[in-house]
Amino acid sequence: MALLEVHDVNSGYGELQILWDASMSLEPGQLTTLVGSNGSGKTTLLRTIMGQLKPWSGSVIFDGEDVSKLPPYTKADLGLIMVPEGRQLFSSMSVRENLEMGATPKRARAHMAQNLERIFDIFPRLAERADQKAGTMSGGEQQMLAVARGIMSEPRILMVDELSLGLAPVLTLDLFMALRKLRNEGLTILLVEQNVRMALKVSDYAYVFNEGRVNLSGPSSEVENNEEVRRAYLGI
Amino acid sequence: MGEVLITSALDGLLIGVIYGLAAMGLTLIFGVMDVINLAHGPLIAVGMFGVYLLFTFLGINPFVALLIMAVIGLLLGFFIYFVAVNRVIDAPPLSSLLSTFSVNMMIIGVGTALLTTSSYNVEYSLGSFEFGFFRVPGARLMAALAALVVTGLLYLFMYRTRPGKYIRAVADNRASAELMGIPSTRILALAFGIGVMLAVVAGGLIATILPINILAGGSFELKSFVIVVLGGLGNPLGALFGGLILGLIEGLVPVVMKTTWVPVIEYALFVLILLVRPQGLMGAKK
Ligand SMILES: Nc1ncnc2c1ncn2[C@@H]1O[C@H](COP(=O)(O)OP(=O)(O)OP(=O)(O)O)[C@@H](O)[C@H]1O
Ligand SMILES: [Mg+2]
Repeated sequence: MALLEVHDVNSGYGELQILWDASMSLEPGQLTTLVGSNGSGKTTLLRTIMGQLKPWSGSVIFDGEDVSKLPPYTKADLGLIMVPEGRQLFSSMSVRENLEMGATPKRARAHMAQNLERIFDIFPRLAERADQKAGTMSGGEQQMLAVARGIMSEPRILMVDELSLGLAPVLTLDLFMALRKLRNEGLTILLVEQNVRMALKVSDYAYVFNEGRVNLSGPSSEVENNEEVRRAYLGI
Repeated sequence: MGEVLITSALDGLLIGVIYGLAAMGLTLIFGVMDVINLAHGPLIAVGMFGVYLLFTFLGINPFVALLIMAVIGLLLGFFIYFVAVNRVIDAPPLSSLLSTFSVNMMIIGVGTALLTTSSYNVEYSLGSFEFGFFRVPGARLMAALAALVVTGLLYLFMYRTRPGKYIRAVADNRASAELMGIPSTRILALAFGIGVMLAVVAGGLIATILPINILAGGSFELKSFVIVVLGGLGNPLGALFGGLILGLIEGLVPVVMKTTWVPVIEYALFVLILLVRPQGLMGAKK
């Protein structure tokens, strides 16, 4: 059974409808990617899943329960964690404090010390900067911290919006590898990415979004070979 | 002359710590939720009269009464937050100014009806302490020490405990805090409660050293604004610093000029700081 199901969700801002009967499902232990052109509604879908936006109609089912109406902090407590677009760190707080804030859900708080060790293992750079204010770190370091803070929440589903935006290729690769490793440890991941080529390479399943609708979906290897996708996103 | 200066400076610093404490409540609330609490003065008066009433009618030691009032202040803060602040928290600033001003009017109205505007005294003395050539009234020394302890506790709370860190996180990025499971509305209520508690405690301390009346909070509210600008809006430690400066001015100016010059100099400084260093002497949060 899917761990997260989005059924025919309509949603948007004020009167402006962005999502049109959007549906998707995340299989446990898989890395799913969501790609689509700028402004197609990927971030809006993630916000609706988290409850930052209320779905106008349709439903969000997490682990068999309808969570459509729950606020973000309750969803976080259930294990639905989003690393938002643009990092959104607590910039006046230290790196360590940011990570501590990540460990707010009950299960995560119990394992904070171990998880912190694990994070410092995956991202040694964060260990070096533990007492630095988050806002004074470089863009790449901040992105690492944003992902690390998400992992500190011990997610059951980790959703990452724009992992690679503005990062050097080497660091992007590192972060992709880190996600891949988490997936191999059994974590369910939803990755929104601009870098379509890379996203399709590391993921198991892919959704292609267009103007607030799912245009195409399937195992990533198939989507990668789809004519339309090759033309529109891979420039082949 | 030297002795007079030192005694006056010390006097000023002792009262300055309490000014700082009063301002801390105002600046904390602003720093966390961008709300200027116009009920600040009356809440200081609530602290004054709480301690007065508990002491005068129940014979409770003023410093024990202060603890009781701290708890009452916290609860009162939650109540005011949910009734008057929560629904306007995302509205333009005028809404929260108006709603906290309404709270101000209600407290002053009820207070005036029950207590009139006459002056009251907490008849409590701790004698005085001698340090070499100068003498300090015991009550002032105790009040200043208590204010310092409260400041220290606030600092520990904000930087060493989880709820304190939640307050800082919500102040920094409310949406992000929600994403990691922090119930931001409850945290804002907590921050508001602590801000009110600080005002109430400051009022209670003032009652142990000065005569009080229901409108007396107003002048401390004004001082709080000056202090908050001196120390940097939203910066609790800056408030302590600003309080000390204001206290020094009040202690030292009368040595060389008429006392009536004190407010003139205070507000001139206020305007000067706004002009040349609007972020406050200690820098500011944003
Ligand atoms: N707060 C908002 N108010 C009104 N419209 C918005 C708001 N946020 C986004 N939109 C609009 O919704 C549409 C979808 O935006 P969204 O951020 O979901 O796209 P996206 O797929 O994440 O794009 P990108 O790849 O650029 O991040 C856009 O047309 C955008 O202008
Ligand atoms: Mg986006």
